[in-house]
Amino acid sequence: MDEFGELSLREREARRIARRQWFWLHLAVYGMIQAFLFVIWLLGSASYPWFIFPLFGWGVVVAAHAVYAFVVRDPEEIMIERAARQAGK
Amino acid sequence: MSWLLSPYVEQRTYRVLMYLLLGLPLGILDFTIVVTGLSLGLGLIITLIGIPVLIATILVARSLATFERELALSLLDAPMPRRMPARDRDGGSLWARLRGLVFGRRTWAEVGFLLLRLPLGILDFTVTVTIVALALSGLAVPIVVAAGVQTSLGSWKIDTLIESLVYLPVGVVFLLFGPRLMLAWSALSRRLATSLLGYMEPYESKLAVIDVLARVGEADGFRILDELELRLGRGPFLTPTHLEATLLALESSGYVVSRREGARNVYALAQGSR
Repeated sequence: MDEFGELSLREREARRIARRQWFWLHLAVYGMIQAFLFVIWLLGSASYPWFIFPLFGWGVVVAAHAVYAFVVRDPEEIMIERAARQAGK
Repeated sequence: MSWLLSPYVEQRTYRVLMYLLLGLPLGILDFTIVVTGLSLGLGLIITLIGIPVLIATILVARSLATFERELALSLLDAPMPRRMPARDRDGGSLWARLRGLVFGRRTWAEVGFLLLRLPLGILDFTVTVTIVALALSGLAVPIVVAAGVQTSLGSWKIDTLIESLVYLPVGVVFLLFGPRLMLAWSALSRRLATSLLGYMEPYESKLAVIDVLARVGEADGFRILDELELRLGRGPFLTPTHLEATLLALESSGYVVSRREGARNVYALAQGSR
């Protein structure tokens, strides 16, 4: 791999790390707020479990974020890696 | 302390303030025009009148997006690629241009921005007005109470100067941190504007690279990136990965050759390929 290819690779790695860090931050905020809502429910009447609505509603967003952070890959990234594999053959 | 107060003397703070406040009226305008036009066009498509309505809506949306792009560039300093002159860009028949307009990814990125402008504009406006109101009310309440006007905080009636001082720390905190908070908040709008309005179609990137290679001859990736930055500007739309992918696409279509024997970092125009 030439120097420019290395720069490009480092950039993709940095982007991947940043994506994952944003996800962990999102998950931490989600966890803290859900715990807070659960405590409010527990200290309150603790009858109707209303806290499950934000738990699942926001949970779907967190799950989508996890897919974006760990599974989804940039089309440009796929293209470069495919070309590198072909060149390696 | 100077870090906290410096936004007050920076022109950028007031430009950002204006952008955030304009978010609500412009968001309503953008959203209304796009949603009305698209629903009318799609609803009438069965009568064929819908097709010109849709095309007209897309053209209006493109114009609105151009205005929004200029606004984000001048008020938020959002990085945007400098567009090539229209004569280089809009080649081809009317049909090809129309197809590019309707099916181009940039068109739909811009429509997406115009639709998102309303919810984001509401947030921008609310956050800004809240920050300004909290900062000003904290300072104004003691003065108002001293002048003999009664005010309240929930059910608590504030009618003495001592009681009114409870607002003061809130006002001071927002006065000190408010501009910084507002600037930090504007990063969201800035990022959205760059990613949706600063979108470059793959053919634009390819044309720009071919143009650079035609002018400078053989060059390595770093040189091409520098030249592109001079032409298009610096921003997330121009990254080493994007350039590498563009070069690969050009290579596979025979416009450039790269990594030649003995000159691994050199990208050059293929002989007679232009």
